[in-house]
Amino acid sequence: MAKLLEMPKLSPTMEEGVLTAWHKNEGDEVAVDDLLAEVETDKATMEFRAFDKGTLLKRLVADGATVKLGQPVAILGAPGEDVSALVAKAGGGPAAPAPTPPKAAAEPSPLSTTMATPAAAPSPITEAPEAQRVPPRAPRSGGVLDRTAYAPEPVAPADGGTGRVLASPYVRKVARERGLDLRGAQGSGPGGRLVAQDLDRLKAAASPEATAMVRAPISTLQPPGPALGEPEARPLSMMRKTIARRLTEAKQKVPHFYLHVDVDPKPLLELRERINQELAESTGDGGEARASTKVSVTDLLIKACALALVRVPECNASYTDEAILVHKRVDVSVAVAVPDGLVTPVVRNADQKTVAAIAREVRDLAARARTKKLRPEEMQNGTFSISNLGMFGIDDFAAVINPPEGAILAVGQVRDEPVVEGGAVVPGKRLGLTMSCDHRVVDGAVGAAFLAELRALLARPMRLLTG
Amino acid sequence: MLEEMERDDRVFLMGEEVGFYNGAYKVSEGLLERFGEKRVIDTPIAEGGFAGIGVGAAIVGLRPIIEFMTWNFSAVAFDQILNNAAKMRQMSGGQLKCPIVFRGPNASAKQVGSQHSHAMEHFYATIPGLKVVAPAFPADAKGLLKAAIRDDDPVLVMESETLYSVKGEVPDDLDTIPLGVARRVREGTDCTIVAYSRMTHVALEAAAALEKDGISVDIVDLRSLRPLDEDSLVDSVRRTHHCVVVHEGWPYGGVGAEISDRVQRLAFDDLDGPVLRVTSLDVPMPYNAKLEELVIPHSDRVVAAVKRALNR
Repeated sequence: MAKLLEMPKLSPTMEEGVLTAWHKNEGDEVAVDDLLAEVETDKATMEFRAFDKGTLLKRLVADGATVKLGQPVAILGAPGEDVSALVAKAGGGPAAPAPTPPKAAAEPSPLSTTMATPAAAPSPITEAPEAQRVPPRAPRSGGVLDRTAYAPEPVAPADGGTGRVLASPYVRKVARERGLDLRGAQGSGPGGRLVAQDLDRLKAAASPEATAMVRAPISTLQPPGPALGEPEARPLSMMRKTIARRLTEAKQKVPHFYLHVDVDPKPLLELRERINQELAESTGDGGEARASTKVSVTDLLIKACALALVRVPECNASYTDEAILVHKRVDVSVAVAVPDGLVTPVVRNADQKTVAAIAREVRDLAARARTKKLRPEEMQNGTFSISNLGMFGIDDFAAVINPPEGAILAVGQVRDEPVVEGGAVVPGKRLGLTMSCDHRVVDGAVGAAFLAELRALLARPMRLLTG
Repeated sequence: MLEEMERDDRVFLMGEEVGFYNGAYKVSEGLLERFGEKRVIDTPIAEGGFAGIGVGAAIVGLRPIIEFMTWNFSAVAFDQILNNAAKMRQMSGGQLKCPIVFRGPNASAKQVGSQHSHAMEHFYATIPGLKVVAPAFPADAKGLLKAAIRDDDPVLVMESETLYSVKGEVPDDLDTIPLGVARRVREGTDCTIVAYSRMTHVALEAAAALEKDGISVDIVDLRSLRPLDEDSLVDSVRRTHHCVVVHEGWPYGGVGAEISDRVQRLAFDDLDGPVLRVTSLDVPMPYNAKLEELVIPHSDRVVAAVKRALNR
């Protein structure tokens, strides 16, 4: 008996996912735990594996489609089974939203403003459109320069409005100026490209209805010139949606206040120098590979914060409507910049780990964060965050709290500054630390106590190594 | 050269066979007799040496014209041109200037072999600090050479052995033709052809053939390769929406590649198709006459490229 496969919950906070790539074709045999598809969730790219065996009879969404939790994505059953009833059920269900077009076509062209009209909306079930595939490159003809210019294979007239319009830049310019709708038009140029000689025909073909839907020509809205007034629309990735949602929530709901201290980083930098020298020397005698990891200021600060949090546990706490939860574990989230956003992997039990172990773990987490290979649980349930923008030349900043954590420490760069020592101004160094606190959990005096502990630890950082 | 040497006694000519032999191609005929051995100087076969002497003379205030018997031989003087002529002004913070002209025939002649058939212009046009011109017609050759001699920076004049025999109107009162200004040598509506030096004549031939097929070609003769007249390129492409570049140099990174870049960047919204290039084939020049003919761009290849640009 054939059954519908639905989008599973692949991360605890997942509400929808982008099915980035199918790994099974229609007609393929599927065994339990076979990889069916990859899904980009709000956290990471996850594997969608089969719970049952059978034959993949029908794929209900195309590569690149955004799919809500529980929405049917495929039909699994015995070979040859009639699936029309299930297809109708999946397609007719009110819960099934229209998949967004595949990524390649997601960027709206200035000419495609009519795409959103109901008539042109893609049907809820879309076959993977062949036209989206990148056509094979024209073969080189013996390396001779004046070979035929690269032209894609002819594109079938776009159905559902998802096909990219092939038109020369000049045709696009004229179409913009005259308000012509190029969708579906077949050009006479190479590969069906719309070229200048097609313009007259297009003009005649533009129905009054279609013209009415097209927005006013740019020239009437702004001074003539290239379409600089048109912003480039970049579709929101799942990560950007998550960042937007969580940070808006944090800034709107969490009453932030900020405490700033300047500390003398010299002892810390000296210690770091010595540790890294030790580590480098221990590589020389054919020691373990672990020695290749260098310790950074961030790694030392993670350890320092963890120890300070043990001493001032009120800062290692979360607010709930019922109670303040004072955590017994010290799990420090570290903000890591990745292409298109940032993530906060967590160093668990940082108070109990050695500085070298923290360094290795941070390196591993950051590397996997950049390739989107972190598991969702590796980015959850921190109790305190550190965000360091020093490497980007930032002196000092105030970070947004990462709920449900109670505080976040923002770290700037080490600055060379005149400082007062023994009543005299001498050249010195300063490091700016700003803690953002959730005032529902942490009061000013408590935050100050934490920073005092932290400052004391940084003044005698050997204590980071001795516990 | 004669007019400029009369006009300014700092101008002198130096090169192989420029004096007693009256020039390998008779370009300097009669100059020695007229100006004497101090201003028309025969040199040994040592391009690196006499190019360097020229640079030194220019720096101390003379205005040398250095003739290379062909630009092929400038390869041994490349260091003088690249590292001295082109850089003196900038490296001295403007204290020195280098008003020198290097000139001679460039590109292929007829069966002179791979080592003597180079189109050298793109090697030089890539260098900031130099100016490079490549005239196609007698009047341009005169006007640009005069402008080159009077210019305070090093100017390289790329002549052509096969164009020395081309006859054309040269107005008696012709003075200088400004460097960096292209000329529209044919008006048309369907496709722009960009060319210079001998290829302008090939483009004209192609245009005549295309006219029979009802295709009207606009030809921009660049005249100067550096500085490059972007305005003329863009003007023409705005009218025709198609562009074919024709030159004799190799395709990789050549002048055509530079022009393709400028056209697609500056006239992107006016292009109805990709910019195409017709260049020498990507091989050393064969000596065999038939093969040589295949390698050098001819009008039939230009015709084919224009038709392909227009999708006909």
